[in-house]
Amino acid sequence: MNGQNSRTKALAVFMLVLPLVLFFISLSIGTYGISPRGLFQAALSVVSPASHPEVPAAHRDILLRIRLPRVLLALAVGAALSVSGASLQALFKNPLVNEYILGISSGAAFGAALSLVFLGRAFPPQLAGFLFAAVAVGAVLLISGKAESHFISLLLTGIIVTAFFSALLSLVEFFASPYVLQALFFWLMGSLSLASWKDLYVSLPLIAAGLVVLYLLRWRLNVLSMSDEEARSLGVNVRREKILVIAATTLITAAATAIVGIIGWLGFIVPHLVRMMFGADNRRVVPLSAAMGASLMMIADDIIRGVSSFEIPIGIFTSLVGIPVFLILLKKTRKVWL
Amino acid sequence: MSIRVAGLEFAYPKFSLRVEGIAFETAKVTAIVGPNGAGKTTFLKCLGAVLPIPKGALFIDGRDLAALKSRERARLVCYVPQEHDTTFNYTVSDFVLMGRAAYISPFALPSHEDAESAAEALEFVGLSGFADRAISELSSGERRLVLIARALAQQSAVLLMDEPTTFLDPKHETELFRLIRKLAVEKKKTILVTLHSLEMAVQHSDLMVFMKRGEVVAYGKSAEVFEDSLLERVYDMQMKIIDWEGRKFVLR
Repeated sequence: MNGQNSRTKALAVFMLVLPLVLFFISLSIGTYGISPRGLFQAALSVVSPASHPEVPAAHRDILLRIRLPRVLLALAVGAALSVSGASLQALFKNPLVNEYILGISSGAAFGAALSLVFLGRAFPPQLAGFLFAAVAVGAVLLISGKAESHFISLLLTGIIVTAFFSALLSLVEFFASPYVLQALFFWLMGSLSLASWKDLYVSLPLIAAGLVVLYLLRWRLNVLSMSDEEARSLGVNVRREKILVIAATTLITAAATAIVGIIGWLGFIVPHLVRMMFGADNRRVVPLSAAMGASLMMIADDIIRGVSSFEIPIGIFTSLVGIPVFLILLKKTRKVWL
Repeated sequence: MSIRVAGLEFAYPKFSLRVEGIAFETAKVTAIVGPNGAGKTTFLKCLGAVLPIPKGALFIDGRDLAALKSRERARLVCYVPQEHDTTFNYTVSDFVLMGRAAYISPFALPSHEDAESAAEALEFVGLSGFADRAISELSSGERRLVLIARALAQQSAVLLMDEPTTFLDPKHETELFRLIRKLAVEKKKTILVTLHSLEMAVQHSDLMVFMKRGEVVAYGKSAEVFEDSLLERVYDMQMKIIDWEGRKFVLR
């Protein structure tokens, strides 16, 4: 038992350190080959340009303008979607719930697309994304009533609301100019290649704020994962705390979706893997989901950038890997929710 | 801590509960009995404010339950459900620790003291060795005890237990009632249990509440109130109570 405990602890520490290691590895991967030493010097030259005159300006630009925002974005989005998935699963007492099922992703995508097409890139798409994500999840919860205890009704409502916002999104695409449409289409498939500091300045603080709230609530999520009656009897203001968790998850999902498009399945699979490895206690599940989600996202993006000269959108990549995993887990966990 | 009901009403679409003035005594075990659909569980859930109750209907130690904040209420009264549905496979110690929620800010983690209270509660129900076991590995009897341990960790003066003996074999049933008695005597808890078995109810309770169609039909000391005529009236069938070596059995 003790041996196993210390192994689990060591594994947890490894998982928490991994994103940091991957962050630096990811910075050195890309179509333009820069050696780790070259990267290090480029980083130093950013701090003091005078002391490293030999560093080509291109290296600095690649590091600062292309790779750093992209890797940071992968890290933040991976952590955001995974923590959002873990929190929603606990809140709805169902390991199959995720932001996609609840309509949050499609609402956010529609809002962001609407903003991009009609307000242009000068206006941050995160705001409209958040607004419509909140509308979508609110609609799902209202229509399905006490759906948290009736998963099928929640699922069906989620599908309907998602379909509705997808139709609205198609309408936006219909009215978009061909030039905007192309960018919109690429963005919707889920892509990190458009990462820019301008987007990060808005999304990173929003994601960080939501993550901090959910991290602080991590033990409370255990209590909220009990039936509503139990949670109430245990002294929880169920309604208020539920709204808080949903608001935080909607915020981080919208902030992520508004700049990288819909990235499905990550928020569903990562918490599952974490629970399988480290148990159900959300005090561990939340931070480890953040670490694992960030790591997987960086690895996925590294593969995309490293393997081929053309880029597969990461949303497609995660779905191709994620859906088979979802099916396996669905088969395994059927007993729990049917 | 005493419970006083001052006119409590609760309505589902096809059922309504209406309880006039009634009070429950401190450190006593009260059994709530009655036929299926009599409203026993609904009454219990109202007493725990798990279901929404109006102001001025229910007082614990003179404090209006509906006017209290969730966490203040949970320190006074705890509803123990019949069964826990295990979506997530928490360990026993993590599960019992949740009983401390009323003492912990939503944004904080349980302290060392909270963990100690949880461990003590687990020891009281005799499951200390189970702390690291997963909930799903337990038998239904053990799971029932874990639910009670969580309620103990909550340290509320009033415990409301919904059918605590369902699915238990006679031995575990007896042990559970021994534990309930111990809670009333040693921890001075005011305990209300809903029960189906009349024999168990009369044997293990100090007081009995008889319910029928959402109303309290009779309430009194178990030994006094338990009579053939009342049983027949409540259950709409012929029933006969037999005394055997100081214990009562119901023939039907």
